[in-house]
Amino acid sequence: MVDFIRGQLISIALIIFVLGLIFQLIQFFKLTKKKDWLYPPLEIKPEKKSTGQWVSVCFSSLNGTLWKTDPLVTIATSVFHVFLVGVPIFLLGHNLLLDQSWALRLWSLPESMTDVFTLVVLICLAFFLARRLFLARVRAITTLYDYVVLLIVAAPFLTGYFAYHQWFHYETVMTIHILAGEVMLITIPFTKLGHMLFFFLYRFFIGNEYSFAKGARAW
Amino acid sequence: MENSIPNPGAKPVDTKQIKEMLNRKKGKMKRYLSHCAHCSLCAESCFLYMEHHKDPQYMPSYKAINSLGKLYRKRGKADRKLLTEMKGIVWRNCVLCGRCYCPIGIHIPSMIAFARSILRSQDVYPQLDEVYSESWL
Repeated sequence: MVDFIRGQLISIALIIFVLGLIFQLIQFFKLTKKKDWLYPPLEIKPEKKSTGQWVSVCFSSLNGTLWKTDPLVTIATSVFHVFLVGVPIFLLGHNLLLDQSWALRLWSLPESMTDVFTLVVLICLAFFLARRLFLARVRAITTLYDYVVLLIVAAPFLTGYFAYHQWFHYETVMTIHILAGEVMLITIPFTKLGHMLFFFLYRFFIGNEYSFAKGARAW
Repeated sequence: MENSIPNPGAKPVDTKQIKEMLNRKKGKMKRYLSHCAHCSLCAESCFLYMEHHKDPQYMPSYKAINSLGKLYRKRGKADRKLLTEMKGIVWRNCVLCGRCYCPIGIHIPSMIAFARSILRSQDVYPQLDEVYSESWL
């Protein structure tokens, strides 16, 4: 069982993760079509702005956004998402294994840095958990499923932190760490973690008022 | 005159029709419901939430989850009591102004509008002479 978790299951999880995301991507493009413009999009030529004007526009456009209404959550969620993706990709331990198994050499961050970043991810997760437990508006829409997903995300980081510091029985912690990572990869395309992909599809491809881009597709 | 006003108790709920309607937009709506992170960051963008002393019932995500979300969870098997409960959520607690903002990009108004269509198909919608349980003033 341990050999399976540390061996074949890694490849299975990666295949499910990649194929699952490809499947979701194909489904998205099948379900949406190029939009027939009700009104043709305006071709506005942007005015030339100085650097100072750009900075001023950027800051004033934050007014009324989540940076203004909920700055703490906005900072926490932004930092969390960057490190959530960045830490496993640029982790020295992971990249050494990738080099050994697939001769894939990726640039790595210093271990002391990824150690701190992992702790930041865990603090952010604790903050999200506290919001779920104590904030009435979050509690109103929270189900057991939300806690399970939070656990799925927290487990690889928590066990990775334990493994790096060699707390508890190293081999057992390492096996749980690998299993937790595999579970997370498998669940991403099929749970609410799918917003990892769909955030970009919804905000850049689907046309609506809050689109980051032109949003030329419609359901 | 009285006959022209639909009586909520008279007609049995056509669950087959609800199921058909749900299936028609399943691809979009189930994805929206499934990708909602339940973060509640949409709350402050709703003026009704702000005006009702930040009552979670007025939160856009709460309204979508407890109307359309419930219908999908029950696979359309809703009774009139449930539909009547949803009536308040989708008509009284939401005016479909379209100002709600979701950081992930989920279009909540389309979900509420779809829930309204389903409820309307079962003759569940507000009447002009209906007495509201709550004053707007």
